[in-house]
Amino acid sequence: MNTMNKKARTAFLVALGLAIGAGSAEARTLIQNKGSDTLVNVAQAWAEAYRNVNSDVAVAITGGGSGTGIAALINGTVDLANSSRAMKKKEIDLAKKKGKTPVQHVVGYDALAVFVHQNNPVQNLSIEQLAEIYGEDGKTEKWTDIGIEVPGCKGQEIVLVSRQNNSGTYAYFRKAILGKARDYKLGTRDMHGSKDVIDLVEKTPCAIGYSGLAYATSHIKMACISQKIGDGCVSPSVVTAEDRSYPIARPLFMYTNGEPKGEVKKYLDWILGDQGQCIISRKGYAPVRAVKCD
Amino acid sequence: MFGPAEYNIRNERTERLWRILFLVMTILLIIPVLVILATLIVKGGPALSWEFLFDDPKDGMTKGGIFPALVGTIWLVTVALLVSVPLGVAAALYLSEYAPDNLFTRAINLAIINLAGVPSIVHALFGVGAFVIFFGFGTSILSASLTLAIMTLPVVIVATKESLQAVPYAFREACWSMGATRWQTIRRVVLPNAVSGILTGIILEVSRTTGETAPIMFTGAAFFLPFLPEGIFDQTMALSLHLFVVSTQVPNVPEHLPYGVALVLIAMVLIMNSASIALRIYLRSLKKW
Repeated sequence: MNTMNKKARTAFLVALGLAIGAGSAEARTLIQNKGSDTLVNVAQAWAEAYRNVNSDVAVAITGGGSGTGIAALINGTVDLANSSRAMKKKEIDLAKKKGKTPVQHVVGYDALAVFVHQNNPVQNLSIEQLAEIYGEDGKTEKWTDIGIEVPGCKGQEIVLVSRQNNSGTYAYFRKAILGKARDYKLGTRDMHGSKDVIDLVEKTPCAIGYSGLAYATSHIKMACISQKIGDGCVSPSVVTAEDRSYPIARPLFMYTNGEPKGEVKKYLDWILGDQGQCIISRKGYAPVRAVKCD
Repeated sequence: MFGPAEYNIRNERTERLWRILFLVMTILLIIPVLVILATLIVKGGPALSWEFLFDDPKDGMTKGGIFPALVGTIWLVTVALLVSVPLGVAAALYLSEYAPDNLFTRAINLAIINLAGVPSIVHALFGVGAFVIFFGFGTSILSASLTLAIMTLPVVIVATKESLQAVPYAFREACWSMGATRWQTIRRVVLPNAVSGILTGIILEVSRTTGETAPIMFTGAAFFLPFLPEGIFDQTMALSLHLFVVSTQVPNVPEHLPYGVALVLIAMVLIMNSASIALRIYLRSLKKW
């Protein structure tokens, strides 16, 4: 082997070492933000916009579901955990056992819309009806059971579209519609994201599904929701979620370990400020308070 | 008198039928490849531009480019190669050139074959447990690349071993007769003759590493990052995960965007493959036998 070759090799190794070293010594502040798939797109929009506010702070976004975010907070691998449900007592206990004190911050509200196919003639559904459709031992199996005939739906059998069980949307819908004790019916199709629910319901005349209002498209129909059959119903919208008149609206949370400090606090304050709240309302969620946006 | 007999003609006809059947089967194989490429080019082609390649995602990932994901994928593949190639080649050298044929060696070979059969999502979980949590590398390029490296090790080992064994045994014997040690033989005779085969293994590894999503999803790839990775302890975006994200997670993405990402992903693999194939042909032309 000639010496040139050896030198080149040494140089390469040194360069590699430097590249590795450079990674560990960085000046930029990194905020880790993980969790809810409902919030992931808002979180992304916040992170994108925050670059123009403070370019020394970078926010890394990862989805995976509310449960994933909360688990990461308990394990201490994130600064901010996104969740579309409140932390369970069991999770808080576990966090405390690991020396973490989760602090809850409401960052917005989300109306959970009930979606059906465009051709479905249904106008309004009550919580009771939904419980019979989605709940374990529920009596409603066919659209005709609630007096509706859906064109293009063979056998009028209702196709139930739901979410995977670590989803905050799954947990909140269950609590709001079925109550704490009751489980979902067997045979629901559990989708791995809000967008998947919309895509499936758009294509399936027999289907019914639920997701955050923000995921609605122009090719899908949203039911008007009432408490009981015959009551006045409320359509899901940013306005009805904000004034709490829509019955299935939920707060969206970010959790920190202890009171937020430093850059995380600044970021959270910015999210709750006018700029951050305008971004969330543009994404189809309700802000925590009335804000004026252009 | 010497014309074909009845049964000769029949055999000839059957022969032709089989030939045609096998040809049709082979052509059927090409169809999916062509359809995939054509679909990607037609639907994703309009998305391609310099801005698409060299710009950040904008407006909630519905506009802008894929630059951070592109850079991230290059990082992941490079670091994975840096780990798996030396490790894989060394293991293959031991197994092919040094190891005696005993129970222990056979157990190792069996383990390698089994490692190749482990589904990628299982590798992902292993990566989370081992690299992210136990070794404390966190979700980083290092964790993701190590997971990818372990996943692709069997490919490198098997390809290297086969190409080493393709070097005629007489070459080694000749070398040893001249008084060369095993290492001198490997270094000067066996390896130079096996390089083209080893490259094939690496090509296969690169293609697989580029496209894998599951192993990097939990170990190092992020949904969105507003910066480029600067070292192996940073998280990164990756093309494969970005494709998953824009096609299933983000609402109101224009249709050409996911197709564009897919097109870039497949183009990257094809370009790397063709470069390695060209190199392989060149190296093979240097062979003296």
